[in-house]
Amino acid sequence: MEVREPVTNARARSLALGGVATFFAAWCLLTYTGMVPAVILPSPTEVLRAFPVLHFEEALVRSAGWSLYRVTMGFLLAAAVAIPLGLFMGTFPPLKHFFSPILEPLRFLPISALVPLTIVWFGIEETQKITFLFMGTVVYLLPLVVEAVEKVDDVYLQTATTLGASRWQIVRLVLIPASLPSIGEALRVMNGIGWTYVILAEVINAPYGLGALITVAGKRSHVDQIFALVLVILVIGVLSDQILRWINHRLFSGRA
Amino acid sequence: MARQLTPLGRILIVLSGLALIGYGLYHWGVLNRIGSVVAPDKRAEGTISKDDFGPPTTGESTSAPPPTSKGAPSGGTRLNRPIKVAIVTWGGYAGGIVANGGFPPNRDCLFSKDFGIQVELLVIDDFAKSRDAFRAGGDKGGVDIMWSTVDAYALEYGGLLRLNPKAVLQYDWSRGGDAIAVDASIKSVADLKGKKVACAKATPSHYFALYVLTQGGLTSHDVTFVFTDSAVEAANVFKAGKVDAAVSWSPDVYVAARERSGGHILTSTREATNLIADIFVARGDFLEQHPEDVRRFVAGWLKGVEQAGANPEKTAVLLSKSFSGVSLDDAKGMLNDVKLPNYAENRAFFNPQGSLVNYHGIFKTAQGIWRRIGEIKDVYEPYQTVDTRFLEGAGEFFPEAAAAPAKPEFEFKTPPQKGASILTKTVSIYFPTGSATLDENAKAVLDTQVVDLAATFGSAYLRIAGNTDNVGNRDGNMKLSRARADAVAHYLTGKGFERNKFDVVGNGPDKPVASNDTEESRAKNRRTDFEIIPR
Repeated sequence: MEVREPVTNARARSLALGGVATFFAAWCLLTYTGMVPAVILPSPTEVLRAFPVLHFEEALVRSAGWSLYRVTMGFLLAAAVAIPLGLFMGTFPPLKHFFSPILEPLRFLPISALVPLTIVWFGIEETQKITFLFMGTVVYLLPLVVEAVEKVDDVYLQTATTLGASRWQIVRLVLIPASLPSIGEALRVMNGIGWTYVILAEVINAPYGLGALITVAGKRSHVDQIFALVLVILVIGVLSDQILRWINHRLFSGRA
Repeated sequence: MARQLTPLGRILIVLSGLALIGYGLYHWGVLNRIGSVVAPDKRAEGTISKDDFGPPTTGESTSAPPPTSKGAPSGGTRLNRPIKVAIVTWGGYAGGIVANGGFPPNRDCLFSKDFGIQVELLVIDDFAKSRDAFRAGGDKGGVDIMWSTVDAYALEYGGLLRLNPKAVLQYDWSRGGDAIAVDASIKSVADLKGKKVACAKATPSHYFALYVLTQGGLTSHDVTFVFTDSAVEAANVFKAGKVDAAVSWSPDVYVAARERSGGHILTSTREATNLIADIFVARGDFLEQHPEDVRRFVAGWLKGVEQAGANPEKTAVLLSKSFSGVSLDDAKGMLNDVKLPNYAENRAFFNPQGSLVNYHGIFKTAQGIWRRIGEIKDVYEPYQTVDTRFLEGAGEFFPEAAAAPAKPEFEFKTPPQKGASILTKTVSIYFPTGSATLDENAKAVLDTQVVDLAATFGSAYLRIAGNTDNVGNRDGNMKLSRARADAVAHYLTGKGFERNKFDVVGNGPDKPVASNDTEESRAKNRRTDFEIIPR
């Protein structure tokens, strides 16, 4: 292997497939030979068998739907706040310096500490869950949006100024269009953040939800169900990532 | 001139089209029909009523003892490392903490000096993590023995089946450790109807809530449960004013009741003394490999219980030194929230024909409840889940236990006359016209509906109030209802309760619950109310 060796698309695909296959083979080897007892690591068959139980008795699809709804709403809300605020902060450095001391430290916040607070502020219904996911996502999304705006090359701004563009024309016609592809990319990456918080978001009053199902499976020692549920989340994550990639591609290909 | 649509515009149009179609399908119920196949709902949740508690009425026999006694444990090898035991921050472990002189294994303690074993107590407050440690096992960085409660064990047994777990010891009864905090408007269980109750699902709190609700004449669907991940969160939700009641643990539940204005404790395991039993569960492979160590562990722990009872001050000091973040006052409070059963009480508890409320009864009842609300599918016989050989084998260390007659645990004086009842269980007991004699049917009703209630609320007084309809002479009805209530009290005393536990009242026709216009409503008025009066 060479440093930064170019990899063709076909080879990349076969490498990815090989990685998954190796991982799967190791899993089979450890479980089917009995090297690791089933109570610690269930075999692929057992994980597969957990699906009908989850589907017919634990409302797997409804739970996935509810979790997807909560994560998506939290994500959209975060985008709705972070994109305009980030555009302003990236465009006008004084605003950035004004907000930074408050927003920067929030990334270090242990998000689980917010669970009791969001209950006191927003109750125990969906608002609380969505707000919690919003908070967890927005603190990471905002700095990326600011960075996307700041990354726009000065050359474009200078050209626009030379052509006699006004302040608002620079923002509207240069900064926003030029930073949108990076913002789209930031949204795609941050879409996963909500899923990492889904267990915490669903600790209270969540009759349906993948996070709630994982919690219950853990308490009942159903390790096979935990693996199955984690798989579902991973599949949803990969699918939504692909969708966002496709949207980004359609919207921004050939630009910037 | 047609304008070219931007990609974003096209995506928006497609999305709104999909939304419109989706709404239409939902509106005409098509989605529901598709939904039941593609996304079936959870297992249907049955209703829990008072008939789900207490011994089964007909058919099913109560759990039989194991076919043959297996005798004292034998075989296996002695363990060459400490026995690892998962506990939580809770006063019920006082016996073992005293026997071990703290948490870490050491040579200078009762376990080591008198019983020749090393024990390590590990505080794992997170429920799921303690189960992970149990699955790993003591040889692989986990634990050999873990804490549970009988009701919780009935729920998790199926999930642990591969480890062949067995209950080996009861280390405490919760006596105030679990409580129900309510807002100012709720004075008795009947007031909970239509209210929001927070608790952690399928935990001792949930079980406690279901028991109290159903005995007070409600069903599980008369309240709206708000389920939280842990008991502490249930208390927090109550404190924040988001629910009307919460079932949780000490100290959180008491703090929440105090800090919410108008909040107070409706009832706790200080009254429901024999409902939540904490037990140790051991891995089957561990019991098989090291039975002698387990026998010594059980014996040493129960010796520790005796010592803890003899020196409460020293025990509290040791508890506060051992548990992190527990002051001496906290430790005293924690000891006050539990009752540590001794050797004889343990034997009676694990004997299906032993104490009125015993392991087998609670396990079976709890299992039935979890099954009915869809938490579990498979059921097991209680005797499969327990192994009393170690307890029996520990008998040589407690020669006095067999000789001494069991002392009644609570002393009853005269019942408080004006005491308000926290819950009223209404039971129809059939008496022949004009008679106050209990026939076999009436006795069976008392056995299934009242004995368990009276035993579970071990420390509380029970007011037995006879009521009649308005047919006949009022004075005669007053006397008859009183005589009938007396007959009930007499019968219950014969079951092993103290006579002073019962307050007998004859209301005659004065306290109807329905109009006396029809035969149906008159039948409702002919009833016996059993009211729980806290001491």
